Amino acid sequence: MYDRSRDRVPLWLRISIGALLVIAVFLAMLPFLYMVSLSLQSDADLFSGEVVVIPEQPQWLNYITIWEEAPFARFILNSFVIAGAISFLHVVFDPLIGYVFAKMQFPGRRIMFAALLSTLMLPFFIRLVPLYILTAEVGLLNTYTGLILPFAMSGFGIFLMRQFILPIPDDLLDAARVDGGGELRVFWDIVLPQLYPAIATLALLTFVFQFNEFLWPLVVVSSEQMRPITTGLTLFNQEYFTRWNLTAVGGMLMFIPCLLLFLFAQRFFIRSVMLSGMK
Amino acid sequence: MSYRRKQIVIAYALLLPAIIYFTIFFFGPIAVELWASFYSGQPMVGESSFIGLGNYTRALSDALVHRSLSATMIYSFGSTILTICFALLFAAVLAGPTKANNTVRAILFFPYIVSFVIGGLMWRAILDPFTGILNAALISLNLPTQSWLADPDAAIWVLVFVSSWKDIGYATLIYIAAIQGIPGHLYDAARVDGARPTDQMRDITLPLLMPTTLFLAVTLGISSLQELALPYLMTGGGPANSTRLYSLHVYETAFQDLNLGYSSALSFLMFLFILLVTFLQFRLLHRDIRHV
Repeated sequence: MYDRSRDRVPLWLRISIGALLVIAVFLAMLPFLYMVSLSLQSDADLFSGEVVVIPEQPQWLNYITIWEEAPFARFILNSFVIAGAISFLHVVFDPLIGYVFAKMQFPGRRIMFAALLSTLMLPFFIRLVPLYILTAEVGLLNTYTGLILPFAMSGFGIFLMRQFILPIPDDLLDAARVDGGGELRVFWDIVLPQLYPAIATLALLTFVFQFNEFLWPLVVVSSEQMRPITTGLTLFNQEYFTRWNLTAVGGMLMFIPCLLLFLFAQRFFIRSVMLSGMK
Repeated sequence: MSYRRKQIVIAYALLLPAIIYFTIFFFGPIAVELWASFYSGQPMVGESSFIGLGNYTRALSDALVHRSLSATMIYSFGSTILTICFALLFAAVLAGPTKANNTVRAILFFPYIVSFVIGGLMWRAILDPFTGILNAALISLNLPTQSWLADPDAAIWVLVFVSSWKDIGYATLIYIAAIQGIPGHLYDAARVDGARPTDQMRDITLPLLMPTTLFLAVTLGISSLQELALPYLMTGGGPANSTRLYSLHVYETAFQDLNLGYSSALSFLMFLFILLVTFLQFRLLHRDIRHV
């Protein structure tokens, strides 16, 4: 006999998983909530030794002081320029190269694709020292070009695009080729329109990833003016070691664009990550 | 020119930028690094002399390298295992398409897209022994205070925690995508046979998620092997080098000690190690697919 009560998860298990989820959600938000609180605290609040959630006198002045203490506007601009330029380059190059690997026949295809895949496994820090020296030799330290160029393409992006192009039927492409369309025409007229969602995924993931990049700017930027906000924040943090309130204001300035982007494109974000993980 | 010929020419023309890019920025640097790893001093830029495998034998007996390797192993295994266990649990609960589930997923996922710089610094602020909110809360509850980030035994576990804090939402999403791909009729059949939800989890969901688990284990594992920002921001590698992760050690060997030959050898060792891990993963993954 089919027993309905067996179909339920036991009560104790449901309660403990529920409690665990509540804790997880709280911990996921805690640093961000604390950042909001910290950014409005005075030094006295910081050292009061008491739990300050909402400061009695919110220090809105912190949000003005910060612009005087470090060139934060410049940091934010730098981050947008670098991440934006890299995303743009990926959108230009990755689909076209993905197309070549997915739909064109040429000798050496297998070995070149294997080489491309091998780049996916290579951690960035392994190439760090030679890349730094190369960048220094050609005089690109402390420049946008030096910050952007090493990330102009990605094996991941090309692979992702290839995976999306593969299912497009060859008959469709051949028909266009017979009609006298060159390869670029075929790509532009037939493949590209079907790739828009995939390209948006690529652009979004690349932008967020590069906006958060830390190691490369840490190494190639020594001037204060060229720092993106990731390393800009640490500069500030080292100089004012215990001034967590001002560090938190800087964090807020970096956080707000991320939050807006996430709220605006939350579903798209989540679908993108799920897609890129499955491909 | 025949059509086929023409296509080959076009293909290579389109690939040319990629060939140049990957040669200059990927394969070139690795070749240069292999070459530099046989020199002491500052190959590529300054004075150096050929010492053969000297850097490699030195690495094998370097106490600081051993220390950083063991810290990296704790960090890497600890955070990967913690992330996967909780993500699996959360995914099992949150796989249904209800509105509340979507909200919880989004909140758990959010730390993943925010920079580690914010996450790392704010957790450090929370744990700060003098100004942090955790100690303030412990005092108000009359409990003993903590200074985990200054404790050589505890600091690495704080990093493990923060790493999982960042990745759990991401891993949960990947698991949910995989769970939603499992055909519903398997569960229907199991229910008719009288399997409890916990049985279904054990006998259907978990085995079918094996490839996803391996995918996550390897991607999370490899990315944690190269973590630098977190120890850099939270502990600076201390106390007593207990959180000096491998990539931080390589970074400091190169850019603070300016020991470029030695740091090249250390990088190259990590390169070989990751190749090995990747190779093993492919072997495991293929065997697993055959069994399912």
